[in-house]
Amino acid sequence: MAITGLPQPPQIHRVPQFRYVDSIRWLPSISPFQKYLTVAFFDTDSGTPSLEIHSLSSSKTLSLLSSWNPPSRISSLKCTPSLIAASTFSGSLHCFSTAGKSLESVFAEPQISVVGRDFHVGPIGGVDLMEGGSDCVSVGEDGRVNLVKIGVEGYHGKGNCRRVFDGNGLVSYTAVRWASPTEFVTGGCGFGLQWWDLRRPGSAVAQFKDNWDQGTTSGIIHSIDIHPSRKHTCLAGGSAGTVFAWDLRWQQEPIILSGVGTNDAKTHSLSESDVWEVHYDCYMKSASSNTSSSRILPAMICSEDGILAVIEQGEEPLELLAEPCAINSFDINCQNPSDVICSLEWESIAILSRP
Amino acid sequence: MPRVASGSGGGGASDSITGALVPFLPDSQDAVVYPLLHGLKPPISRVSISWARGNTLRVSVFRSSPAESDSDEDVGGKVMEVRPGGNVDGQLSDAQWRRVAYGSVSPFALLQSRRNSALSVSKMGLSPSPYHLEWWEYVSEYSKDVSSLLGNPKSSAGPVIEDPKEVLKKVEEPTCLKAAWDLMEMFYADKLSQAWLPERLVDWLADYDSLLSDTQATVYLKLMEFQGRLVTLLVIEDDSRYWEVISSALAVGWLEIAVKMLRLHGSYQLDQLGSRETENGLVEAVAVLISKMPRLRPELGAGKLGECFKTKPDFMKAWERWRAQVTKLESSAFWLQCDHLQTREGLKNMLQIMLGNASILSTATCNWMELYISHILYIRPFTVGLESMYSLAQKCIQLKPMTIPHKLMRLIVGILGENTEVILAECSRDFGTWMAAHAIEFLTAGSDQAEVLLHEERDNLGGINIEELHRLIYAQVLSSHILTWQIAPIYLISCMKQGMGLLEILLYRQPVQHNQLLVKNLEICRLYELDSVSSNIMKIAGVYHWKHGRKGYGVFWLQQARDEVCLNRIAQQLFNSVGKSISDESFKQWEGLIELLGSESKPAGGLEFLHKYRDFKRSLKQVNDGKITDATQQAVESLMSLMKNTSTPQRFWLPILYDSLKLLYWQERPLLNASQTNLLLNKLQELSMARLHPDFIEADLPPQALSSVRLALATNLGRAILEES
Repeated sequence: MAITGLPQPPQIHRVPQFRYVDSIRWLPSISPFQKYLTVAFFDTDSGTPSLEIHSLSSSKTLSLLSSWNPPSRISSLKCTPSLIAASTFSGSLHCFSTAGKSLESVFAEPQISVVGRDFHVGPIGGVDLMEGGSDCVSVGEDGRVNLVKIGVEGYHGKGNCRRVFDGNGLVSYTAVRWASPTEFVTGGCGFGLQWWDLRRPGSAVAQFKDNWDQGTTSGIIHSIDIHPSRKHTCLAGGSAGTVFAWDLRWQQEPIILSGVGTNDAKTHSLSESDVWEVHYDCYMKSASSNTSSSRILPAMICSEDGILAVIEQGEEPLELLAEPCAINSFDINCQNPSDVICSLEWESIAILSRP
Repeated sequence: MPRVASGSGGGGASDSITGALVPFLPDSQDAVVYPLLHGLKPPISRVSISWARGNTLRVSVFRSSPAESDSDEDVGGKVMEVRPGGNVDGQLSDAQWRRVAYGSVSPFALLQSRRNSALSVSKMGLSPSPYHLEWWEYVSEYSKDVSSLLGNPKSSAGPVIEDPKEVLKKVEEPTCLKAAWDLMEMFYADKLSQAWLPERLVDWLADYDSLLSDTQATVYLKLMEFQGRLVTLLVIEDDSRYWEVISSALAVGWLEIAVKMLRLHGSYQLDQLGSRETENGLVEAVAVLISKMPRLRPELGAGKLGECFKTKPDFMKAWERWRAQVTKLESSAFWLQCDHLQTREGLKNMLQIMLGNASILSTATCNWMELYISHILYIRPFTVGLESMYSLAQKCIQLKPMTIPHKLMRLIVGILGENTEVILAECSRDFGTWMAAHAIEFLTAGSDQAEVLLHEERDNLGGINIEELHRLIYAQVLSSHILTWQIAPIYLISCMKQGMGLLEILLYRQPVQHNQLLVKNLEICRLYELDSVSSNIMKIAGVYHWKHGRKGYGVFWLQQARDEVCLNRIAQQLFNSVGKSISDESFKQWEGLIELLGSESKPAGGLEFLHKYRDFKRSLKQVNDGKITDATQQAVESLMSLMKNTSTPQRFWLPILYDSLKLLYWQERPLLNASQTNLLLNKLQELSMARLHPDFIEADLPPQALSSVRLALATNLGRAILEES
């Protein structure tokens, strides 16, 4: 293995759920000894979706603290230390405040629910909460980009929701991520990425399209991540095992970290199927001493063919988990980055503890 | 999902007496009522019932005339799903079944790939048989993997626990599925322990006797019942049930329980030890004899009693010795000194069991299976393997006929009778499609004869063999559930004849509206190299999204499918909206779609025009009057390339030319040369002719547009000719 510093494989616990796990996130906790999760489930036997908070014991058992039934299945889930935002396939957005509350009462009532044809029509592809802020951006298959202000007291309904862009179905967005308090990046079909700046409204300020492959394959962006220390670079993962970084300073030259559509022999292809989620992995120290700002930091991915791995520019990927079924989502505990949790297609959750 | 309601549905049901749509006779024997809460106001005019996904029924209820309804909250009908009956097994819930289904995928796939490689080796002539010696190990590994899914391994029957009064240990309730799987494994997969098969059967009964209690009287039930009374009994050895239960436990080989219960005997109590010394000696002697019983098996689990002998000669010697000790005790003079009648009779009875007294064994056991085990233990201890086991079973069934045969017992009879078809039928009927599809691996590995039978192609099955039939049936069940359909391909792909066809149908039938599901579906196509299926699914998805107003998604999937025909058709529709709505402002909306159509190498049908049109509009915007810049040149080039290109729709010609008026009236010098202007004039002429055609779509322009373009072109032509001369 080229990536050193990981002599032992991680400890893996699989916890069967008997329900489909749509999405899973760590919930930042105040106490370092307590670990909490928020999970979006779908019970096929009763046809009911649910959003739940569980505490994770040291023996890797989950116990339910709070639960809420959304109007339809959760399509995207995000957590910050003070907020939880969940979007649904029916086009509604629900935000819950965790600040100053016991976790048992978080899901008693949403702080804000935005529903209706003025908001999104059809599934919401992605939501993101601004780190430390209270703005939630949502993008949908209908091509709309909406901004919801959450923290505003006494503000409910449509008043705190603003349309940034309406693509009218001519485009569809599948992922979104904040870059700064005024900028965010969206992703969609054709490996397209759009950089938006709220100070320059009307349209995206920069666009990226897959030009590297000269038209053999194309795909959809499923997930985007932006590192707080490298706000000019956007990491994206999508179809055909593609993971690439798009640096605003060199817009025409994406840095491809993994993928089959490339002829570049230096790129390692980890998976040929869809990469469902990408996150920068702060646990992995970069193997290279080159820490220039143009170098892409290590990132973790999960894929449809059941791989959870850490990839780094120019290095051999490090596989953490190889499941016989898809890994649909994962999350790295930002307070304790050695802990990773992922949701498996076969109705279970895997908990990894890296040594 | 239906909600169960006892009464009638709907608030306004008062006019119909019960609200029942179909008269229901309560005295009919087998009727099961599934009340549905449809919540509709009567009158109900029509009820339609059809199959929904899986084993559910779809019930559609229609009201008579929704038009007459006075309030708008009335709905015209409702569709509900009903799941008739419960689970087949009654022990595993749907979710647990799914877990078994997920878990068995990997072992199954591994075994199939090993079989394929074994077959290819044998084809190359390297090995005489596809199932060489190692095959047993593979099947055994497969069996153990699957078995671990069905429950934790548990070999302790009702072992001793610290509570002296607790005879039977409370353990996790075993499942029939696990019991059946263990049985199959014992007989077919575990070749290493074939020699001590009888002892394994003893263990099996110890583990699963509780399951047989569902339909049979069992020793387990007897023990449970007695354990309940145990605390209330003061002088235990006076109770005839006590001796009965110990004998039963001994008869079926639960030595630990027998010994533990013997030691509850009153003579062990310190205050009585003195007065009942002989009696206690006899009890202890029997207990010691029981715990020294020789067993033909390699090892015993912790806490188990008996002495193990690995080889038959050693065992036979030990057995004779032990029997001699039992006989000696039986004819001992101490019995005369034992005053306690029940103890004397009870202990003698136990010695008779150990000596193999058939009639006492028969009274001590409750059903034929237990009798069978007791025969194996005490009458035919030297039985090895399957020899004459079937005839013994037949004999036991005659002695203790089954009133309601338990499914596990039916399976055992099939296995002992070595009747492959019966075994398979029992598996499929009693344990479900999962069992039939997975247990068949045991049968094909079991004997050549069975393998031939199961792999023989049958005309009455449409040319497929029995193995394939059961896999197809299982795959069908998997396909019917939203979460398990993804694992059905693993089973379909192992079906040589019909698998591929059904796999294609399965993939086509998956809904395309959900993006994630669509991607998962396409991934399966990729894995099995079903490119044409994949491209058809993308076409279906493209058209679906297009129809639902997600034009970008539609175009994307159609592009992925390389469907020029569809792209051309939707291009015409797009142009309609472009022609009407496109302005500089709305181009921002189109940007994303146009970007998607971007590179030349991707098939875009007529849609590539949009890309060029956008470029033209954009450069035109940058053109400033008066100065010739790169943008001006760019605009002229775009204009010419648009007008030359055959893919530019005719209806856009005039708007394009009208937009370019400022290029034609350029102050400084004519921007288009004579030949370029001629070309444009020709196009204009063509357009004038086309306008006479009834299908022509008039552009949304001022009425004088055509004449002003014509004038501008003529002016430019004049200037260009002057310039060039």
